[in-house]
Amino acid sequence: MQSVVKSPESQISAGLSLLQKCWQHFLGFLFQPENDTWLAVLRIGLGLQVAVYALFLRSDWHYLFASSGKGLVGREVGEAITSFDSPLIPTFGWLVALGRNFNMSEETVLTVGWVCLLSAGLFLLLGLLCRPAAIAAWFVHLCAAESGGLLAYGADVFMTTALFYLMLSPLPDRYSFDQWVTKTKRRNPQLLGFWRRVLQVHLCFVYFIGGLAKCLGSGWWDGSNLWRSLIRPPFTVVPPDLLVRFKYALPVLGIAICLLEVSYPIFIWIKKTRFVWLVCILAMHAAIGLLMGLYLFALVMIVMNIAAFAVPSANTTALRRSTSSDRQ
Amino acid sequence: MSWKRIHAAWFGIHFFLIAAVCLAGVFWLIAQGSTILPSACNEYARKAELAATWCLGKEAGASNPLRRGIATYLHAAGIQAGYSFFAPNVPTQHRLTLELFYDDGRVEYESPRVRSKGAALRLESLLDRLPDQRYEPVRETLVKMLAFSVWREHPDVKKLRATFGSVNPPDIIEFEQGKTETFQPMFSFDFSLREEQRH
Repeated sequence: MQSVVKSPESQISAGLSLLQKCWQHFLGFLFQPENDTWLAVLRIGLGLQVAVYALFLRSDWHYLFASSGKGLVGREVGEAITSFDSPLIPTFGWLVALGRNFNMSEETVLTVGWVCLLSAGLFLLLGLLCRPAAIAAWFVHLCAAESGGLLAYGADVFMTTALFYLMLSPLPDRYSFDQWVTKTKRRNPQLLGFWRRVLQVHLCFVYFIGGLAKCLGSGWWDGSNLWRSLIRPPFTVVPPDLLVRFKYALPVLGIAICLLEVSYPIFIWIKKTRFVWLVCILAMHAAIGLLMGLYLFALVMIVMNIAAFAVPSANTTALRRSTSSDRQ
Repeated sequence: MSWKRIHAAWFGIHFFLIAAVCLAGVFWLIAQGSTILPSACNEYARKAELAATWCLGKEAGASNPLRRGIATYLHAAGIQAGYSFFAPNVPTQHRLTLELFYDDGRVEYESPRVRSKGAALRLESLLDRLPDQRYEPVRETLVKMLAFSVWREHPDVKKLRATFGSVNPPDIIEFEQGKTETFQPMFSFDFSLREEQRH
């Protein structure tokens, strides 16, 4: 038997060509051409989310974000904690200080902020001035989330992220009012594909980490965490007497949630299992919304999942052809 | 081609930061000993958490521009916290009870209230953060603010006692046996309003 000994130069060049191939594969994965249907779903879904968020908090808006002595805890504490992280993070304090220059009271500034947020949500829903509306929604929501930092919960985190991605995505989409009026040039399919990938990979991180952390808790394996979460005020929507009837189903559901989340980054990419995983995840979020009253959290997660994985991918060959013909 | 490289570089940095935040969160949970992993892992988890937070610049001085830049970006993108909601276990519920003492000797019991259910979720979120060690420096101030929000609606109250504690719900077997939740006081504060603040 003869063995072929490669020279160091040829080994280096083989290694470099392997790296080159990996890089090309990575770029192919990141910039897979897409149409803008997923972006329209994300825009409409987030428009609805922002409008519902503003309407849900309408009666408590001033009470939550007013300064000390007027509101629940005063936004100064939340803003101080935020500014310890970085003074460059926007808060309502910035807007109130700006309003003072125009002789606007704190109450007026907060009202203007609320109206801006609701309008931005409605504009996104209709697809009117998509980019400015997305930026305004992200900014005002971020101010609210940071000023009320101690009052924030999961839904706020996901709303900030989703609006951040929407704001950077190649808006407007073809279903928007903007597109109908201005008839702008079609967006680069590869750029659309890139932003969809970002959303997809982000969701994989969310579920994997969430699932992993749940797997590390004993209560998810025996169903006691599901029981505790469902009877915990203010999430008590289902009467505990009714829950007791399903006590044998709780451990099975607890384990199913752990496995569903931790395996999401694998099975959501496989065509044969994608539909099942997506339906299960959407059902889980719908159940969280209905059984625990976490409507905003459920809605934002459903919107992100549908935009990322439910909207069918475009015919990539046709898109590549159209991209190259556009260039010519 | 250069726009692709720029986007790819941003993608790499963005998800590196997300990974660091998420891992720091998971390692913190392990280091606290709140998981099913053996306690021998706690020390390693503490070191791993430090490594993850170092990547986020949190070991640098508070005024370090890199640390501030990273923190600003994390908050702007909504990726400043990990995704371990209700994990590894559902957190204990907490309650703040306010005893209102009137001049005529009457005593009433109240809790901080909001109008909408959306805001009620946020109030619960605030109460659950209070026992956390990280919020210890602002705990008394926050309780005082919550007490003051109730006081504004009862201006004739002379003194107010705020008792904060954890609510332990019965497990499913205890519930079937008819047991109800128990309240475990953790700390309490007495507040009295100065005469000039009353008017």
